[in-house]
Amino acid sequence: MSWIEKLYETSVEIGKMQLSGPDRPWPVSHVAKKAHVEVTLGSKGDFRRIRALSFDESLTIIPVTESSANRTSNDAPHPLCEELSYCAADLPNRKEKRFKEFIELMDQWAESEEFSHPKVKAVRNYLKNDGKLYTVLCKNNLLPFKTVNPKGKKTPVEDKKVFVRWCIEESGKPHSGTWEDESLIESWINFDASQNMPNKENQSLCMLSGASVRIAKGHHRFLRTPDDGAKLLSSNDLEGFTFRGRFTDVKNDSGKQACTVGYVESQKAHNALRWLIARQKYHKIEDEFVRCFVTWAVRCKPIPDPCANSLDFLGDEFKINDTATPQDGDVGQSFALRFNKKLAGYKANISDTEDIVVMGLDSATPGRMAITYYRELTGSEFLERIEKWHSDFSWFQNYGRDKRFLGAPSPKDIAWCSYAKRIGENSELRVDIKLLNATVERLLPSIVDGRPVPRDLIEQSVRRVSNRAGLEPWEFEKCLGIACSLFKGFYNDRRYSMALEEERTSRDYLYGRLLALADQIEWRALRLANEKRGTTASRLMQRFSDRPFSTWKNIEEALKPYKDRIRAKYPGLLDGYEELLDAIHSKILSANYITDTRLTGEYLLGYHCQRQWFRDHKREKGQWILKSADDVENQEADFEE
Amino acid sequence: MHETAKNTIEFKLWGRFALFTDPLTKIGGEKCSYHVPTYEALKGVCKSIYWKPTIIWVIDAVRVIRRIRTQTKGTKPLEYNGRNTLAIYTFLTGFDENEKDVNRKHGVEYQVRAHFEWNKCNKLLEKDRVDGKHFAIAKRMLELGGRQDVFLGTRDCQGYVEPCIFGEGEGAYDAIDEIGYGLMFHGFDYPDETGINNLYARFWYPKLKKGVLTFERPENCKPELKKFVREMVPKTFGTENIKSVDVETEELGVLE
Repeated sequence: MSWIEKLYETSVEIGKMQLSGPDRPWPVSHVAKKAHVEVTLGSKGDFRRIRALSFDESLTIIPVTESSANRTSNDAPHPLCEELSYCAADLPNRKEKRFKEFIELMDQWAESEEFSHPKVKAVRNYLKNDGKLYTVLCKNNLLPFKTVNPKGKKTPVEDKKVFVRWCIEESGKPHSGTWEDESLIESWINFDASQNMPNKENQSLCMLSGASVRIAKGHHRFLRTPDDGAKLLSSNDLEGFTFRGRFTDVKNDSGKQACTVGYVESQKAHNALRWLIARQKYHKIEDEFVRCFVTWAVRCKPIPDPCANSLDFLGDEFKINDTATPQDGDVGQSFALRFNKKLAGYKANISDTEDIVVMGLDSATPGRMAITYYRELTGSEFLERIEKWHSDFSWFQNYGRDKRFLGAPSPKDIAWCSYAKRIGENSELRVDIKLLNATVERLLPSIVDGRPVPRDLIEQSVRRVSNRAGLEPWEFEKCLGIACSLFKGFYNDRRYSMALEEERTSRDYLYGRLLALADQIEWRALRLANEKRGTTASRLMQRFSDRPFSTWKNIEEALKPYKDRIRAKYPGLLDGYEELLDAIHSKILSANYITDTRLTGEYLLGYHCQRQWFRDHKREKGQWILKSADDVENQEADFEE
Repeated sequence: MHETAKNTIEFKLWGRFALFTDPLTKIGGEKCSYHVPTYEALKGVCKSIYWKPTIIWVIDAVRVIRRIRTQTKGTKPLEYNGRNTLAIYTFLTGFDENEKDVNRKHGVEYQVRAHFEWNKCNKLLEKDRVDGKHFAIAKRMLELGGRQDVFLGTRDCQGYVEPCIFGEGEGAYDAIDEIGYGLMFHGFDYPDETGINNLYARFWYPKLKKGVLTFERPENCKPELKKFVREMVPKTFGTENIKSVDVETEELGVLE
């Protein structure tokens, strides 16, 4: 079904949830606006008090007409709440027209029999009889007005732009604010509709519902953030040359021949979209709009975010520290268990036939927004795919001290691993936002449709990890985990286990293990002498991945002094290392040991697993044995006689 | 070859990209494609293969062969005043990065079945309605890949045609019972084919069943789902400004 129909359907479902206050989507014919001052009146329109609004409370739902909601440079007034240039009769240098039109509109509303409301009458009476708002503001030292954001930054507001909202105190009515009064909101919606009854002029086929209704002249802005001017539906073909041809619209009517959407339908769909985006906590990065992916169930049930990594998916309850001990063998199994538990929670809520929509939004220019991705799935399909992604691509991830987990990386992480650059010497690794957008878009079909991951991303990430010199240690660890999970997921048919597979005899895997072993021996020896520097193995990793056979010779030769060092102190431990070296060597001989061709990402799996294995094992009485749970973090306990 | 009436052609239609613009996104300029081709787009393809004012192409059905995927491209469309703007177009593509067969890596692929009927509104060309001859030319033109450029929805998306047998081979959606697409654009009612001097846009609720989209005939589309666009006068074609089909078949040598 088309995206706009789905949004409309969603808005109906949201309506059923009976939300109130700031949680609910904007009502039809209303927008949210930041007000600056609040004027409190009595029920007869008598002035009581005035105060400036703080940043947090300033967002106010105000009624609008269709033309005022889309006003840019024209004078169309909002009813009720307005800027001083419209509602202050005594503002110096004001445009007379604005006040006149504003009062006219208020009069029409207040005097209409069916739709009038005591609060409207109160405001109208105040403005007509008194209306010296400018003087009142001056008296209360509110001008010149400055807004203060939570960080304490002050922004001055022009006098005429100061926005006023109203409270009307009536005895026995708790909601004094005009934005809180449901009956007032209702009365404006009805009044506005009565002013725009469908007639020959404004009626046509709604391309959303297929009904013949009042057509929207303009559509909503502010979809992603409150300062987002981009519209999904817009038309400005008087200067451009976007769509004419068989269409011959003239000014004021531009776009009506090509496309018509009902006023109410359009507003409800847009309001639902805004609500969904806000619920996913979308925010700009470095003041730029990143591609926004909204995923939702039409019936508004909670669903997992396809763009989250497993840690975010499972939430805080899942940390590598409290997972099962390595004694359990393949830790992947325990991950799967926890994951399924969480997934079961979603499954319980989402029926198999539930409609799930994934939609991507982005804008190339500030004024317009494009749909960059659209996909509909059933609930069971969606959860299956999510499950498959997280289990196929799960690996040990180490994103830093508090972020160690078992699971799949997010598309963002993958983009970071493949393409992040350092601009300036000591800066962080960052991905260009356009590249990030493009990569996430390429990865999304892999998650949502179960398509294979683009191969170049896998190769790029493996290359990045192999080039260890360009990475800080923690960056290397993060990239290693991501590259391993990509490779493992891509070659899912090879069934890589998340623990060391001693039986696996492929060349690349064994070379990876050798590298980890060399790394371990040298690290151990350096540790004995309390030296802190990178090992030969880590320095030669890049060369090793390109020419393993010839590089291994260098690495092995360089190991000699370190072996001597260990032999002097812990001969038993060295025996253990030698034993392993021999074991891997003997296996690798039967594989294509001497072919000096480039290693695939598989060697990273061998490397990572072997390294993990060292962390979990110690040498005791001529045997490698599993460390007890307490020892796992204690690297000094590698050896006991 | 196949058991269809002597006015039906069946062809394979493919290209790297397709953009069957959703009219909602058309006016803003950030074009986004429908997931399935529209009737009007396919009619345009048939017209590119062979067209004369004597005939009207009617699209019977389209079968989706390659799995539908989308890809966005940043574009820099020209504006009327010579400057440019920036936009993001969302295309359909079947591009598969992991496909081993290089020839199948790119694009969308459809099978189309269409037939032509006499344009009853054009009385001046009654003499041109010769059974068999138009069909012979259409078939020849299809074998040659069409008379004019074939494109998939939008001129940016070059397409290619080739005769095929409708329903042959595997399709990505063969196993899926039904996919609905909601209210969607069907085509335009042009005055030269309806005889009414008005332009209408037709809408319908398409359903992809087992990979096949069977089109409603234009005159069977629901009248309440028609949108009046504007008044329009057709161009007149007669025997004096059109080459007769007899001459053309002879020139081309398509009939023995």
